[in-house]
Amino acid sequence: MTTTESDGPMTTESTAASKGGPATARSPRALAWQRRRHSAARFWKQYRTHHAGVFGLAALGLCALIALTAPLTVGSDVQSVTDAPGDPMESPSTEFPLGTDQFGRNLLGLVVWGARVSLLVGLLAAVLSVAIGALIGITAGHFKGWYATVMMRITDWFLVMPTLVLAIALATVMSRSLGTIILAIGVTTWPTTARLVRAQTLAVESRPYIERAKALGGGHWHIMTRHVLPNVMPLVLAQTTLIISSAILAEATLAFLGLGDPTVVSWGGLLQDAREAGAVSAGKWWYLVPPGVAIAVVALAFTLCGRAVESVLNPKLGVAR
Amino acid sequence: MNTQDQHHRGLLRPRLVAAAGAAALTLTAGLATPLNPAPHQAQAKENKKVLTVAVAQSVDSLSPFLASRLVSTSIHRLMYEYLTNYDPADNHAIPGLATKWEPSADKLTWTYTIRSNSKWSDGQQATAEDAAWTFNKMMTDEGAATANGSFVGNFKKVTAPSATKLVIELKKPQATMAALDVPIVPKHVWEKVGDFTKFNNDKQFPIVGNGPFILTDYKPDSYVRLKPNKSFWRGAPKFDELVFKYYKDGDAAVAALQKGEVSFVSGLTPAQSTALKSQQNIKVNDAPGRRFYALATNPGAQAKNGKKFGDGAESLLDQKVRQALFLAIDRKTLIDKVFQGHAVEGEGYIPPRFSTYFWKPEASQQLTYDPARAAKLLDEAGYKKNGDGKRVEKNGKPINYRVLCHATDPNDKAVGQYLKEWYGKLGIGVTLNCLDNVTDPWLAGTYDLAFDGWSVNPDPDFVLSIHTCGALPATPKDTGATDNFICDKKYDELYDQQLAEYDTAKRADIVKQMESRLYDTGYMNVMAYPNAVEAYRTDQIKSIETMPKAAGNIYGQDGYWSWWSAVPAGSSGESSDSSSSTGVIIGIVAGVLVLAGIGAFFAMRRRSTAEDRE
Repeated sequence: MTTTESDGPMTTESTAASKGGPATARSPRALAWQRRRHSAARFWKQYRTHHAGVFGLAALGLCALIALTAPLTVGSDVQSVTDAPGDPMESPSTEFPLGTDQFGRNLLGLVVWGARVSLLVGLLAAVLSVAIGALIGITAGHFKGWYATVMMRITDWFLVMPTLVLAIALATVMSRSLGTIILAIGVTTWPTTARLVRAQTLAVESRPYIERAKALGGGHWHIMTRHVLPNVMPLVLAQTTLIISSAILAEATLAFLGLGDPTVVSWGGLLQDAREAGAVSAGKWWYLVPPGVAIAVVALAFTLCGRAVESVLNPKLGVAR
Repeated sequence: MNTQDQHHRGLLRPRLVAAAGAAALTLTAGLATPLNPAPHQAQAKENKKVLTVAVAQSVDSLSPFLASRLVSTSIHRLMYEYLTNYDPADNHAIPGLATKWEPSADKLTWTYTIRSNSKWSDGQQATAEDAAWTFNKMMTDEGAATANGSFVGNFKKVTAPSATKLVIELKKPQATMAALDVPIVPKHVWEKVGDFTKFNNDKQFPIVGNGPFILTDYKPDSYVRLKPNKSFWRGAPKFDELVFKYYKDGDAAVAALQKGEVSFVSGLTPAQSTALKSQQNIKVNDAPGRRFYALATNPGAQAKNGKKFGDGAESLLDQKVRQALFLAIDRKTLIDKVFQGHAVEGEGYIPPRFSTYFWKPEASQQLTYDPARAAKLLDEAGYKKNGDGKRVEKNGKPINYRVLCHATDPNDKAVGQYLKEWYGKLGIGVTLNCLDNVTDPWLAGTYDLAFDGWSVNPDPDFVLSIHTCGALPATPKDTGATDNFICDKKYDELYDQQLAEYDTAKRADIVKQMESRLYDTGYMNVMAYPNAVEAYRTDQIKSIETMPKAAGNIYGQDGYWSWWSAVPAGSSGESSDSSSSTGVIIGIVAGVLVLAGIGAFFAMRRRSTAEDRE
């Protein structure tokens, strides 16, 4: 079924006008793909003008590369406490550029290895959070009535609950594992997304073509997936990028508070280890600074990217550009 | 009196649920307390010498009939006088509330002479009647026997023929008669108490007592405040006030010590003690501890009525498996890496500091680090590796032990990581289950292995009693005095023998046999005897007594010696007033910084949206 496809409010008419050309020999599907390619190219062209966004993307690419190649560069042996190469809390040297931790493990290796967990948890938790938010936002905006009222009151309730306290409570009750942390972050950070998506859904559904689709026999599922979802997608994307950074911070916070799995190496966990081993009062800065800086850099990179994506895609911000 | 370091027992209280939140807000707690106006009313008085001790463990109860944690029992030592006390130099029994004690010829009737110069803080005389009432209450009321019931289990009759004479009649001889670690409470106050299982002694202040200090105020997880008992018979303490202040975070406590906000910090990590050693005005005390640090095995939780409960791993019922778990642990590495030399390698159940009862395994029975032998034992026991290199239970499932660990203890987590790798090489999986409150799974027996640790008294009776069948809970729903549900016939026989043996040398011999038996069963793997690593400010405390005098600890002594003997330094009197204002200043500065940060953030946001709108 290929009815009204749209990749964003501002792209619908312009593509047809500029690249009308020899459309005769092409199938509708090929046309749609061509249109998408063009809008992606234009998106990139606009994104490039945001220097901060480009910087953030480059930083992210680097981090992702480091995290993905970690098994080749440092290897999983770096986590091993029994085969730790150094003495406890050695200061930085040529052998250990960032010093060693309380077990004598190489901190540089640990920070590299920790990137895997921190990025994984950040991504999964953000996806979970945005998925819940989008689902509730779209259904509440589409169905209206008592369903929307109930859903929005639940959303409000989650919105006013202090996120961290709720996440701590969840992480305390459930067993200590990565899954728990992902779940705890995911189910506590979705309400803002739900509110945003619902507002966008209401705006999209008030357009005349939705009415036309309904008149032509489009059901709830069709309207939501074929018309509303593509239109809220840009917003969801931007929201995901922004939430990733807060999810990474939340993961670090929970691990720092000792609610993570102590046998898994993550940046927040490293900070927690450092604090418990007394590195703060003993002045062993090399135990604290690298994971702290890593968290700050990645969170900043995601925020920069998110802001840039948002300002390119959001029609309200992007009209004049 | 039993003295428990870890949080694994004690009655369940809603407060424990809040512990997670409290732990999360550690840094704010450090700031909030000095900002609290109430504790500082008294400081208007010039030159008041306050001894502030940083503590982390929550008080389980201020009632001596319920308390079993180290912090609570240490405070009870300060509040109430016991019949006897331990000499700070060599731990022998010396007069407390009783001036002398003697047995009858058959050693079944003990007569104590109660001193006439000890007064309760409300002015009434402390008499033999108070002591008799305390013991009788514990013998007749199950609720009052919760904490120290093991001392009176063998008592037939306790009477007070006169104000200065206490007579205890026994069913069988009992070796602990000069070491009855039971706080004596004032009858005229406590006879009004209804339900002893519910009364926590924390409603009316000051609490009536006759020890060297009088408890004047208490706020859970915030502070415990005591004032000196000026008429204490052994002499009044030198400080004007003693405060136990809560720092749930070790590093925050050390920072407070460096700033002079607290006078004393215990439980230092190796890094902290090294850093503090090089600082001026701070003395680090690193002495052999009275604690053992062990890995306890769930031997299949059971109650006295024979009912089994919990879900401990099937394979742990096999002695060979338990011994293999012993063999897989390299204790020397733990001492070198985790404790960094601030501990002694674990062997028998009782730490070497108590040389009379210290026992070492013979070469033939010793289970030192030997992974190859461990693997062989496991193979012999029938727990072979499957295709994935994992050992499997008899029901075919891969073995994975849940290790209960205290989220508040960094050592548990560190040792846990070593266990995971050592056991992993044997083909046994390990899941570290670190909780703020391990009490619930512990009492329910829903664990396989658990980190365990007890402070040992000069008289080892209590720590031995917690592994007898008699200490098991009556039914699965009850709470017993048992540590980890061990019930071993041979061990129990030896326990009864040692309790009835008055000759110290002979008794020590039996106790060593008990330790040997416990070692062979493989239920309690004593990994280390951690040192007491603590530090105090020499510009606030001039001198303080350790116990034992040569190389002893300060916090958690078997007596009140440290705080009672502490002498304030100089009379400059700067300490606590300036510190409280430091707290306020830090709080204000932090607040201003946060506000400025938020302001800057919103300003930037506003600017960025304005730019975007252009």
